[in-house]
Amino acid sequence: MIVPLAHVLILAGIIFALGLACVIAWRTNVIMMLIGIEIMLNAAMLVAVGGSRLWGATDGQVFALMIMAMTSAEVSLALALVVYLHRRKKTVNADEFDSMKG
Amino acid sequence: MRLYLSFILLLPLLGGIVNTVAGRLLPRRLAEWLACTAVAASFGFALAAFLSYRTPVTVELFRWLTAFDFQAPVALYYDPLAAVMCLMVTFVSTLIHVYSVAYMAEEEDYARFFALLNLFVFAMLTLVLAENLPLLYLGWEGVGFCSYALIGFWYRDEKNATAGRKAFIVTRIGDFAFGIAVIWLFRMCGTISITQINGMGTAVPAGAITLLGLLFLVGAMGKSAQVPLMVWLPDAMAGPTPVSALIHAATMVTAGVYLLARMFPLIGSSATALAAIAVTGGVTAFYAATCALAQRDLKRALAYSTISQIGYMVLGVGCGAVTAATFHLLVHAFFKALLFLGAGCVIAAMHHEQDIFRMGGLARRLPLTFWPFLAGSACLAGFPFTGGFFSKDSILAAAWLKGGALYGSLYLLGMVTALLTAIYTFRLVYLVFAGPPLTVPPPLMGTPTPTLPHQGGGSIEAPRLMEAMLIPLALLGLCGGVLNLPAYLGEGWLAGFLAPVPGDGNMEASSGLEMVLQGIAGVVALIGLAIAHVRYSGERRARLIEAAVGPPSAMVAFFQNGWYVDALYRFLFVRPYEALARFFWTRVDEGVVDDSLDRFAALLGATGQGLGRWTNGRVSVYILSLAAGAALLLAYLAWVVL
Amino acid sequence: MEQIIFYILAAIIVIATLFAITERHTVHAIVYLVTSFFALAVIFYLLGAPLVAVFEVIIYAGAIMVLFLFVIMMLDLGHPEKVSSPGWRDWWPATLLGGVLLAATVLLLTVPHAGPAGGGAIGVRDFARALFRQYGIAVEVISMQLLFALVGALYLGRRR
Repeated sequence: MIVPLAHVLILAGIIFALGLACVIAWRTNVIMMLIGIEIMLNAAMLVAVGGSRLWGATDGQVFALMIMAMTSAEVSLALALVVYLHRRKKTVNADEFDSMKG
Repeated sequence: MRLYLSFILLLPLLGGIVNTVAGRLLPRRLAEWLACTAVAASFGFALAAFLSYRTPVTVELFRWLTAFDFQAPVALYYDPLAAVMCLMVTFVSTLIHVYSVAYMAEEEDYARFFALLNLFVFAMLTLVLAENLPLLYLGWEGVGFCSYALIGFWYRDEKNATAGRKAFIVTRIGDFAFGIAVIWLFRMCGTISITQINGMGTAVPAGAITLLGLLFLVGAMGKSAQVPLMVWLPDAMAGPTPVSALIHAATMVTAGVYLLARMFPLIGSSATALAAIAVTGGVTAFYAATCALAQRDLKRALAYSTISQIGYMVLGVGCGAVTAATFHLLVHAFFKALLFLGAGCVIAAMHHEQDIFRMGGLARRLPLTFWPFLAGSACLAGFPFTGGFFSKDSILAAAWLKGGALYGSLYLLGMVTALLTAIYTFRLVYLVFAGPPLTVPPPLMGTPTPTLPHQGGGSIEAPRLMEAMLIPLALLGLCGGVLNLPAYLGEGWLAGFLAPVPGDGNMEASSGLEMVLQGIAGVVALIGLAIAHVRYSGERRARLIEAAVGPPSAMVAFFQNGWYVDALYRFLFVRPYEALARFFWTRVDEGVVDDSLDRFAALLGATGQGLGRWTNGRVSVYILSLAAGAALLLAYLAWVVL
Repeated sequence: MEQIIFYILAAIIVIATLFAITERHTVHAIVYLVTSFFALAVIFYLLGAPLVAVFEVIIYAGAIMVLFLFVIMMLDLGHPEKVSSPGWRDWWPATLLGGVLLAATVLLLTVPHAGPAGGGAIGVRDFARALFRQYGIAVEVISMQLLFALVGALYLGRRR
């Protein structure tokens, strides 16, 4: 282990916080919100890989790979949705799409 | 005996149930026939039970209400008192049922009427035959309910429904006291069997007996319309006339007297309770007699006379003369039923005109009504050698024999009442039956004038069936004295028969004294007749009718309105109660209870609305909420770990 | 040596991500992010996960980010003046919540815990064996999910 796990985790925490801040702050742009989600997922992958290294188990890496596959599926669907919604309202502002209001 | 007793009770119940369930589907004749037959057969079984009577028996029909040491089986107790009551109730009820067939011939709702009549008889018989107090109470309440339903029989008229409610509520005050007495007795004696309680006698502390006696007295006051709970009975005239006859003669108001006679062995040992009972009876007798003097409604006058006569009975119980009270109860049942049924004939003949100042000359037009009515009046007035004479006299004699200042003054009060009774009775007779036959009645001020009955000419006629029912009652009323002749005329049968009923004070007056007392009573009755004759016959009668158009004088109005007791109660109880109820309604219920709940609901609603605004469908808000929740959770976790 | 590289890479990641999320121009943001992902891939390699590092470059930086660029260009979103960027009102709750999360995480990490169990680097062979033996079903499920995503994207993207 080249650095203590805590440092890896703190780095992951910083990345995660940045991604969260991106999702919360960029409410006017769905694409930036999706980018924030990607950042957070990367933080999660970092945690998984770090744990895998620490305990010498392969599971962490497998999960990192799973996350990647899942992300690609999620991004493809989400971007398809963005295209679809943009076609309907000519905007990517997330707050414009509030037709599911209770 | 078990069979007879069961059938006495079950037949009216059966008739009532069948008429309740299927009465409207049955042909009218069948429904009427069923009701009359049920009661008549019940009378037959009562007769059979009476003839085969040897010794008091207790019959337990089935168990009911058994919990730990509390036993209230449906048990019947048949002793002389119950026997004569059963006979009287079923007999009078039978006649009234048959009479009702004719009287209610126009009524659409005959099924309800006959079902209630039958249930009324059933409840009264339950009361009479009950062996324990809960069963008696059940019959007591059943009588109360049936009277309520029957007084308000024509409930579409607000006045009638109100009268029914009044009867129910006023008697409920008495029932309340009675209920307390029952529970207290169980608490004290551990039993509610009447025979066992009566056998305890000395085991119960004297103070408790006095209080129990007073509680029973209050119960009897309610049911028997004694002062101060008498206000419901005059209003009860709102019901159909046969119902009035039933209430007055057989099934309702006598219940209180019967209860006191039943419990006499227990309460008889308390002089205070007896004195209270006697005073209640005497005062009621006098009060009602004065009121009856001024009534212009035929049925109201008779109602007040009933209150007065029941007062005599209560006085008799208070003097320890249970036999005399029962005797008067029986005879009174006959002649009062007779008078009411006669009044019903008159009212039917006059097309529901009840004002005695607008009647007259009916003696010639309704001879078959007139003569029995006259016989009933003679009984009521206590004419020598009628049934009422002997029975009333035996009560007064008992009061005289009791001696002392209290009972002496009660005797005098009773005598004055007897005088008043004779006067008002013959006032009725003179006003209704005497005089020129076809006086055009002066229009009554205030009330809307119904179609003048006299102008139809020849339409004055009562159904023959109704008049036929009067005759046996008249004979029984006149000859009722035979039941219990005074000693100098031979042995009194009723006294001998009722002798096993415990607690009857054996006060034997000497023949001479009794003859003197009866002589005084007879003279008083004759004086009353003379006064009535002077005041209400011939020229004077015409002048009275002229004067009746104008407003009554203060004294007449005072008596006419029953000493304004109704107004007094309205002022003393009804008004404050209404005010209190309104206070609780508007201030407490609506102001506090409802309002606080409303406000709480509004608060919750507003909170929900506020929280609902959160789900505005904007993704950013949802994400922010999610992140805030996550941050909160994580911060809490950190807080816990550190 | 490797430690120093790790910290440098960490600094690069944080700075690049910071630029990415504050950049008004979406295309620039994507490019910053690609930089960040490259650095992250190297960290993965340093942590003994060469395959994950390679996939990170191929799939994330290569495929997903390019997909983003495609969409941005297709929808013609490359004009920052048309899109309103977040102001202070949007940033302060984001900063606050991110700060709380980070502070809580760091605080939790300062608690001493059981030492590392120790373990060597994981070879590609081990990784592949675990992936297809132990997690074979998961791989199948993920592949089916990708298929569904494909169908869904096709359905959403068709012209009416």
